[in-house]
Amino acid sequence: MNSQDSKIIYVESCPICGDGLCRIRICISNQKVTGFILCDECEAMWTDPFMQERVPTNADETDPQCPSCRQSIWGKNMHWANIGEVCLLGWFDQVQMVDE
Amino acid sequence: MVQKQRQDAAINALRMIPTKWAVIIVVAIIGYVLLQPQINKWFGLSLPSVASLVGDEKQTSQKKQEKFDSNEKTSTTKADSKASKAATEEKPDKDDSVNKAPTSQPRVSQPRDSQPRDSQPRDSQPRDSQPRVSQPTVGVERDSEKVHGFLTEIGRNRFESPAGLVYGPGSEEGHRLKHIERHLEDQPKRPGSHGVFEGDMHAFLVAIDDAYSRAKSGDKGTKKIQDEGSTIYEASFKKPIGFLGGQEGGRKRNPPLKQLRVVVRGNSLITAFPF
Repeated sequence: MNSQDSKIIYVESCPICGDGLCRIRICISNQKVTGFILCDECEAMWTDPFMQERVPTNADETDPQCPSCRQSIWGKNMHWANIGEVCLLGWFDQVQMVDE
Repeated sequence: MVQKQRQDAAINALRMIPTKWAVIIVVAIIGYVLLQPQINKWFGLSLPSVASLVGDEKQTSQKKQEKFDSNEKTSTTKADSKASKAATEEKPDKDDSVNKAPTSQPRVSQPRDSQPRDSQPRDSQPRDSQPRVSQPTVGVERDSEKVHGFLTEIGRNRFESPAGLVYGPGSEEGHRLKHIERHLEDQPKRPGSHGVFEGDMHAFLVAIDDAYSRAKSGDKGTKKIQDEGSTIYEASFKKPIGFLGGQEGGRKRNPPLKQLRVVVRGNSLITAFPF
């Protein structure tokens, strides 16, 4: 494990539930890397760190789906972003980091 | 003498069985030993165990009873009853035990793992600080029919509360029960706030059910917020049910919390925590 892995990277506290952190979730499918914002508590989702646009979810979904691959956000091709991936997405200025 | 004759007869009988059949019989016996408890559980049958077939039933049932007793003991501890009372707070104020202010040294959990669930299963990590909380997938408390003494199993790894909330697989931790378990301990390094419930898992589940039922009915002191696909229920309690943890809680000296927020999708619980 490198030092990046021991950091929580987040945008802000969740404006929906108030207890979660809005973190960057990375989806890798079909050699395509996509990022979106996910509250680690209530699972509210946004398309980007400016958090203007919500990703809709259905009430009958046990797990919300990734807006890119339509698989579960907790699936095997998903993970929390590391610093490198945040930079690749061009979102570094929008995030905060804290040691876990 | 008679015993020796019997042994010789048994050995002769075994010699008469072809090797192929002997192997099949042994495999069948092993398969039965391994699958018998599961088959009984899945199909509600009462196939006899091998122990009972060989006349060791008394010993086995004694062991089961001991296990059941130990489960009962863990679910009826002093802390449990205290928190249960706080959870069902609509009781009169005469119970001073629930008025307990948050301790000056709140329970602290180990840092969360940032690795994705699939790369390092959380279930394999030791959680020494919470010995009473069983892992739903292991089924430690299934002997007593209720998970955490409160939830009924309605499917594989799916459990239902009396109010109809379903706790199933999901979340980063792999199961909603594991997820809400995080709110039984403080995470002082976590940015922002982290609501911590004071009590054990049983009391927490009781409190969640109480808050959910009251908020769903639109009782006084409750709120219902509809969000994208999910519903957020909030309910007040007369007495503190926990305290504010996380970095923000630490800055504010862990003030007591008297409200519970429950996030659901359909009737499936997503998360719940004091706020």
